[in-house]
Amino acid sequence: MISLAGRDILHGWGKFVLTGVGLGLLIGVTLSMAGVYRGMVDDAQALLDNSRADLWVVQKDTLGPYAEPSSLTEDSERPIQAMRGVAQAAGVTYLTMQIAHGDKDVRVMVVGAEMGEPGLPGQPTHLISGRQIVRGHYEAVADVKTGFAIGDRAKVRRNFYTIVGLTSRMVSSGGDPMLFLSLKDAQTAQFQKDSDAIVRQRARTAANPQLNPPGNPAVAQAVNAVQSGNTNVNAILVTITPDANPDEVAATIRRWQRLTVYTRAEMEEILVQKLIANSARQIAMFLVILSIVSAAIVAFIIYTMTIGKIREIAVLKLIGTRNRTISWMILQQALGLGLIGFIVGKIAASLWAPFFPKYVLLLPSDSILGFVAVMLICTMASFLAIQAAIKVDPAEAIGG
Amino acid sequence: MAEGITLENVVKTYGSGETAVHALRGVDMAVAKGEVVGLIGPSGSGKSTLLKCLGAVIEPTSGKMTIGDQCIYDNGWKVRDLRALRRDMIGFIFQAPYLIPFLDVTDNVALLPMLAGKPNAEARRLARDLLDALDVGHRAAAMPSQLSGGEQQRVAIARALINRPPVILADEPTAPLDGQRALAVVGLLNDMARQFDTAIIIVTHDEKIIPTFKRLYNIRDGRTVEEVQGKAA
Repeated sequence: MISLAGRDILHGWGKFVLTGVGLGLLIGVTLSMAGVYRGMVDDAQALLDNSRADLWVVQKDTLGPYAEPSSLTEDSERPIQAMRGVAQAAGVTYLTMQIAHGDKDVRVMVVGAEMGEPGLPGQPTHLISGRQIVRGHYEAVADVKTGFAIGDRAKVRRNFYTIVGLTSRMVSSGGDPMLFLSLKDAQTAQFQKDSDAIVRQRARTAANPQLNPPGNPAVAQAVNAVQSGNTNVNAILVTITPDANPDEVAATIRRWQRLTVYTRAEMEEILVQKLIANSARQIAMFLVILSIVSAAIVAFIIYTMTIGKIREIAVLKLIGTRNRTISWMILQQALGLGLIGFIVGKIAASLWAPFFPKYVLLLPSDSILGFVAVMLICTMASFLAIQAAIKVDPAEAIGG
Repeated sequence: MAEGITLENVVKTYGSGETAVHALRGVDMAVAKGEVVGLIGPSGSGKSTLLKCLGAVIEPTSGKMTIGDQCIYDNGWKVRDLRALRRDMIGFIFQAPYLIPFLDVTDNVALLPMLAGKPNAEARRLARDLLDALDVGHRAAAMPSQLSGGEQQRVAIARALINRPPVILADEPTAPLDGQRALAVVGLLNDMARQFDTAIIIVTHDEKIIPTFKRLYNIRDGRTVEEVQGKAA
């Protein structure tokens, strides 16, 4: 038996393919939305991977440093370093800000990492060119997505930093590329007041007899030094020894340091379940709406195509074609439309993914799931047309 | 002469009670194999209803219908698979050819034997032989939209004949044709009826072709009156 659906498609292939392309663009948008979500999750995981930490020690009762602000003294690092099971501990600061790059602004996450010894958690990984920060001040390593090149100078607050190295896939959970500075520089950038504020602060100190006792100017100088400097960090990243259990080490730090500690699994849950949860729900809503729109479009197209063939269907039924054969023809056309749509959508999504400002991750498993969903949607969408075809009375071919 | 189709006291009533419409009030009809008869009647006389009953599209309310030697309806009893009956025992020719626009000429004709389970190659060979017999073999690979009206009607006739049905029902097959072409189509149907030993019933209003029938059934108010004419095709 010949394929009636195939012949019908070949007969009007231009219209069919154009319809498929239109549907494909919609499917491409749907796949891209899924890719945006996957990209967000991947960014979050990349953030955790790139920090190379097993534990995140943050201000007590906060979800810091990524989901909530967290501030703790740099000094907390030393007792943690001394605890059993801890291999390395390093303070780190995170600050998302706009920095100028030529005549454009770039949104970056400025990361302050301890550069004293190589391999400390928080330091930039995946260097693709240049070198690590080796000087105490005014050097930076940037992610390639910032657009900076080696030798460029980036202005952060009042200071300029020379880009000495470039990394890739070093992004915040929001997808902003990272700019690494030494911890001291980053603390300055994060906590330093502007000149007017410092002048006013010094005037207030000088006017306060308790902070500026007559005959003892060293007190005021000491107060000013304390007020203008800052040794806080947003988190202490900890790596553990190979034989240590992260939960046990985390419990010890919580007990003795009265700080909040997250393991990798807990931090991943915070990022995925809390930080990007709303975005994920937003994307899920888009996916549902796009799926419904796709189903409605397929149903409408297949129904219109079927209604346009009512006379032929009546003739086919009159000359003895089974309902099953006609239903299969309609279903095949719907599936064919879905197949073209999926192929076009997959190609389109792959082509335009690099142009998205945020990372779009198109997973093969999502594509397979998307293909199954498209086929299911097309199958369901063809029911209406099949029902209309089954209702066609063969007597309509005779007329009268 | 063997009977192609026989109707005995066929009644068709739509609805019931006071609103009942008696479309057929006891139709008797017999058409032998190889014979072509005309079925005429004014609008609303029951022609279409009779055609639908003959075509096993609707069931009569009562009466008996036989195709060849097979009873297909007998006062409430009917053949179980009317679809297969239509496919294997009844050929249809419509006012317009109603060819399937997305199948080429060969496959339009070969579709029926394919539906009946014949292999594609054999069905296409049968179709091409028949198209040759109807002088449209040279258009076998064309699409219906590429054919003239006359060629389309010949392909429709080939489609009706392909399964060698005992009966062919033609619903005003000459309506869109001019006088000469209409007479040619009737002549062709007469040839085919003889060649394939098929009973052909032609429903028509066409004054040009009515005189060509040896026998006519004139239907009025749901009853048929048989008329025998002197002139034949």
